[in-house]
Amino acid sequence: MGSHIHRWLLAAVAAAFVASGCGKSPITSTRIETAVAPTFGHLVPLQLSRLGLPAVPASDINVIAACHRADFTSGAGDWVCTLDWYGPNGIPLRDTYDLSVGTDGCYTAAVDRGEGHLGGPTNVASDGRILRNLLYTFDGCFDPT
Amino acid sequence: MTLRAITTVTGVECAKLRDQLAPRVVLAVCALGPFAFIAAMRLQNSTPDDTLFGRHVKESGFATPLVVLGFATLWVVPALTAVVAGDMFAAEDRYGTWRALLTRSRSRGEIFAGKVATAFCFSALALAVLAASSLVAGLVGIGSQPLVDLSGMPLAPARAMGRIAAAWASVLPPAFGITAVAVLLSIVTRSSVAGVGLPVVAALAMQLSVYIDGPDAPRRLLVTYGFGAWHGLLTEPPYYRPLVYGTTVSIAYLVVCLAVAHRVIVRRDIDG
Repeated sequence: MGSHIHRWLLAAVAAAFVASGCGKSPITSTRIETAVAPTFGHLVPLQLSRLGLPAVPASDINVIAACHRADFTSGAGDWVCTLDWYGPNGIPLRDTYDLSVGTDGCYTAAVDRGEGHLGGPTNVASDGRILRNLLYTFDGCFDPT
Repeated sequence: MTLRAITTVTGVECAKLRDQLAPRVVLAVCALGPFAFIAAMRLQNSTPDDTLFGRHVKESGFATPLVVLGFATLWVVPALTAVVAGDMFAAEDRYGTWRALLTRSRSRGEIFAGKVATAFCFSALALAVLAASSLVAGLVGIGSQPLVDLSGMPLAPARAMGRIAAAWASVLPPAFGITAVAVLLSIVTRSSVAGVGLPVVAALAMQLSVYIDGPDAPRRLLVTYGFGAWHGLLTEPPYYRPLVYGTTVSIAYLVVCLAVAHRVIVRRDIDG
């Protein structure tokens, strides 16, 4: 009797796993792009104010993200995002980030060296304090359900 | 089964806990651990970057309770919530005290309910102590600077405080789920080692599922799914679906485990 229930339970759990396993990974380019673009857009004004630079209205930054994996599929792991945005005085800028995205929808974005206009891991503020560069590496999460 | 009888049993069990070493040590570690963490952070240059909010530890004291939460859910929270529950019933087997206990004027159902209530109270207490001490450690050791959330938005102290309270509250359902699993194992195996150890090992194994890529739905069946639901409370706009799934699944674990445990204890032949 007991082993019957066990077997039945095991089969039900296995079936549930297999049935839902047919679906795709929830880590898609669209989900990542709609998370990274606004997060970057929120961090730019914060970073400018930390450095004592003139503010840029959040609406003028207008970040557009394009993200893909090396094999152009969906799934957790390493992604590359290209961010097109407008810096101070409306200058168009492009930055590339390497993202490590987890199955739980949380990611770490690290800026690719490239043009280097975002600076290194730390900045020196106008008053001489050494501050972490918010745009060099940042974390974020999105809904994976 | 009367409520008064259950509260009487709970009172006796709480008094027993007060005299034991393990629960006291656990609460002391919960209270002091976050202060040791902040002291270590202040002494060294690096930050725990692989944990969410780890990068913010030295910039805002509000990051500390979230770093502690992210780290603790891996195995500390399962251990905190299983340490009393996993021992509570097995201890009666170990000391051979079931027969003496059941000669009292309390039914088995009342004793079961009282013991379970004590186990849940202890789980909640341990989490509350850890949450409060990590918040105080952060505010005292670092300060109350605004916290940058997971969408890059700065949160003023009052808002940050509310989100942190909500984040810690969101791990209560899965923590209670693990408490219920520990109660069941403590009863079925009659062993404290299995009652405390197995839920911790199981929770750790379940969390390894984050390394398996694939759809989200099968992961939602795990009691530990709700441990990550707080991420949605620290984004702008917040998302709640993981919280809803996690809480629902945790309640299912809790109900099933307690129902089976109750059945086993009521039907067990103790005089034989």
